[in-house]
Amino acid sequence: MRRTTSLILILGLSCLLFMGLKLEIDKASRQKIPGSSIIYVPSGKYLKTATFGFSSLMADIVYIWAIQYFGNLAIPDKFDHFVHIFSIISDLDPRYVDPYEVGALIALYDTKDVSLAIKLLDMGFAKNPDLWIFPLEAGHYAQLYKKDFPLAREYYKKAMDIPGAPDIVKRLYANAAFKTMDVKTAWETWLEVYETATDERVKKIASNHLYNIKATVDIQGLRSVLEKYKAKYGRYPDKLSDIVTAGLLPYIPKDYDQKDYGYNPKTGDVKTAVIPWKR
Amino acid sequence: MKTVLDIENVHKLFKVGFIPKKKEILKGVSFSVAEGEIFGYLGPNGAGKTTTLKCILGLIFPDRGQIQIFGQPYLEPKAKERLGFLPENPYFYDYLTAREFLDFYAQLFRVKKDERGKRIASLLSLVGLETARDLQLRKFSRGMLQRIGLAQALVNEPSLVLLDEPLGGLDPLGRKEIRDIIIRLKAEGKTVLLCSHILQDIEMICDRVAIIVGGKILSQGSLTDLISEKILFTEITLSGLDPKDLAGLGESLSAHGGRTLIKVFDEEKIQEILDLVKSRRAKIHSLIPRTQTLEDLFVEMVKSQ
Amino acid sequence: MTIKVIALNTFKEAIRDRILYLLLFFAALSILVSRVLALLTVGDRAKVIKDVGLASISFFGALMAILIGTGLVYKEIEKRTIFTLISKPMRRHEFLLGKFFGLVLTLLVMLVLMSVIFLALVFFHTSTVEWKLLLAILYIFIELILITAVAILFSSFSTPILSSLFSLCFYLIGHFSWSLETLIKKIPAGLLRVLAQIVYTILPDLENFNFKTEVVHGLTIPPRVLLYSVAYGLLYTVFILTLAVLVFRRRDFI
Repeated sequence: MRRTTSLILILGLSCLLFMGLKLEIDKASRQKIPGSSIIYVPSGKYLKTATFGFSSLMADIVYIWAIQYFGNLAIPDKFDHFVHIFSIISDLDPRYVDPYEVGALIALYDTKDVSLAIKLLDMGFAKNPDLWIFPLEAGHYAQLYKKDFPLAREYYKKAMDIPGAPDIVKRLYANAAFKTMDVKTAWETWLEVYETATDERVKKIASNHLYNIKATVDIQGLRSVLEKYKAKYGRYPDKLSDIVTAGLLPYIPKDYDQKDYGYNPKTGDVKTAVIPWKR
Repeated sequence: MKTVLDIENVHKLFKVGFIPKKKEILKGVSFSVAEGEIFGYLGPNGAGKTTTLKCILGLIFPDRGQIQIFGQPYLEPKAKERLGFLPENPYFYDYLTAREFLDFYAQLFRVKKDERGKRIASLLSLVGLETARDLQLRKFSRGMLQRIGLAQALVNEPSLVLLDEPLGGLDPLGRKEIRDIIIRLKAEGKTVLLCSHILQDIEMICDRVAIIVGGKILSQGSLTDLISEKILFTEITLSGLDPKDLAGLGESLSAHGGRTLIKVFDEEKIQEILDLVKSRRAKIHSLIPRTQTLEDLFVEMVKSQ
Repeated sequence: MTIKVIALNTFKEAIRDRILYLLLFFAALSILVSRVLALLTVGDRAKVIKDVGLASISFFGALMAILIGTGLVYKEIEKRTIFTLISKPMRRHEFLLGKFFGLVLTLLVMLVLMSVIFLALVFFHTSTVEWKLLLAILYIFIELILITAVAILFSSFSTPILSSLFSLCFYLIGHFSWSLETLIKKIPAGLLRVLAQIVYTILPDLENFNFKTEVVHGLTIPPRVLLYSVAYGLLYTVFILTLAVLVFRRRDFI
């Protein structure tokens, strides 16, 4: 009998202790780590429920699926649920940065909807308030494509205040009130971000921007030369190197990754070799 | 004579079935075993022999009653250290070899390493399994399992050995070997409690017995005390006499091949038959007086319930 | 001492169980499949590999603990090998604890094997040995210790199938504790709420051992949380084992 009572004592004691610990742990840091996988949010609820403890993995899976889905040119109305899908990924793993990034790029290049892109970046920033890259990009798009200077300025301010933001953000903030962003400034911005960044992820994002800027400039240049060729010879050249032979350009530019641009001789269209957001 | 095992008024009730129905298995069992004897615990199947053993070993907890081993409360580890047990139809860890198996149990008894090897070797030779030392138990035959089980029961050199149906399922040679081992144990000064329902073996080796039927001890004592020496009847086999001549002298059991077997209950009638044989110059082949056997006693006890 | 003997014997028995190697094979398979999955993602490939790897180790580890643990005590009772053991001078709790430690040792070995495969694959992708991942795996191990205790608890009085189901329920409840917390916030203050809070605190919270996300994203975890989580795991295990010993003590082995 004495043994039983001491056993019951141990039982009760350990129970009380672990209950106390549990309350302590709940109070402690879980809530302070922003975007921990424990936060319960209604949307994406189904997936969260089905993936007890593996929500991070689920985020990966949904993201991978989303990439295939949005890369499928055949689906006409795929953007109807764009925000919903990306908010599911965000709910499952708020700290997963790639989806916000790539989502914004998809929005920009496929739907040409700048507000949509900015919305995604806002989502990313809300869940990761320590990442200055999000408001920087949002400001960049606002200034470059929407020409909404006050909005751009707001974003630059937000980015500026976050420790670790590069100096260029301060300069952008200063200039945003006065002018549209020209290509040169854009190029400089991202070059500086690229060179000063210590985070691989930020470097990647910066290089994407650099790629796109170069592509835009190159393709614009090529198109105007192609029109000149057509005016001169009555048709588009069969291949891009014909422009060089005709003496209209000293060389054909390659893209940021040193690859050739794609060219369609029938329509005179020049495209990038890869889908920009899949790079 | 020192009492090695003392059981007093043990009751055990089980709740059986989905809608629990009470079934009383032990209804006040009391007996004692003295040092150095071979004690037989008999009863029909389901009488409560194994349940009693399990109570002694602490596998089952009795509702009422007392059990003492070597004069100590029976659950004390000190008491258990001098105990050996062979369960009925034993199962063992079949992935172990005979040597690993005995080594495992020796370790449980905290036998020191150097001592272990010696003891395992002597046990294996005692039960005749030296050749199977490195064979996995899953490959053992029934008889071999019984013998390694016996070895396991002796691994700690116990003073009291409890055997539950140790001879079950063995061929006659196997039974003889086990019986011999048990007798040797007694010669070494050990006490043995033997559960069985094979009466011939009990009769051959036990000093004292207790008979349990329906959860109650019906009788206990030494074999000589329990079984009367009275002659029940005499069986005579003879030839050369016509069965008709033997009418009224006894019961004629069989008659063929020229021989007649007659069962005579009356002692005087035996003399008459002998005279008849002499006068007719007939031949007696055998004359066997039959006394009460344990089986007779047993059947009598069971029937009386 | 007796506990050690039983533990080593249990280890020998468990390590020969084929189920273990089947599960190990699937765990290795899924870790390696993550390599293929990673090719489909845009961005950080290593993240997918780490997520799948940690998830596999956690999932298959739990399966091993449950499938083997629920059979451990039950088999001994069924096959009656327990008779010769309990009749020896061994206290019943020594038997249970021996079984427990034997299985924990087995799981440790399996976990080390899976971790080696996992870290090797991550190394192959990032050219660094990411020791931080071991932190998440350590806490997975603590979770497995608790699950083992639960499996043994149920194994001591129930058939393997039922025990597995109960253990699985424990695992699911443990990972959904947070939903109960949210629910409680919606109950108006009063007796019901207090009761619900008590229930919430007693029910296991296995998410306390889930540091997979933090480790994959390289976030720092406050040392207090780490310490408390270990203490929580160990205390809860003590609780479960004590319960098992209590149940096992007066049990009749018919």
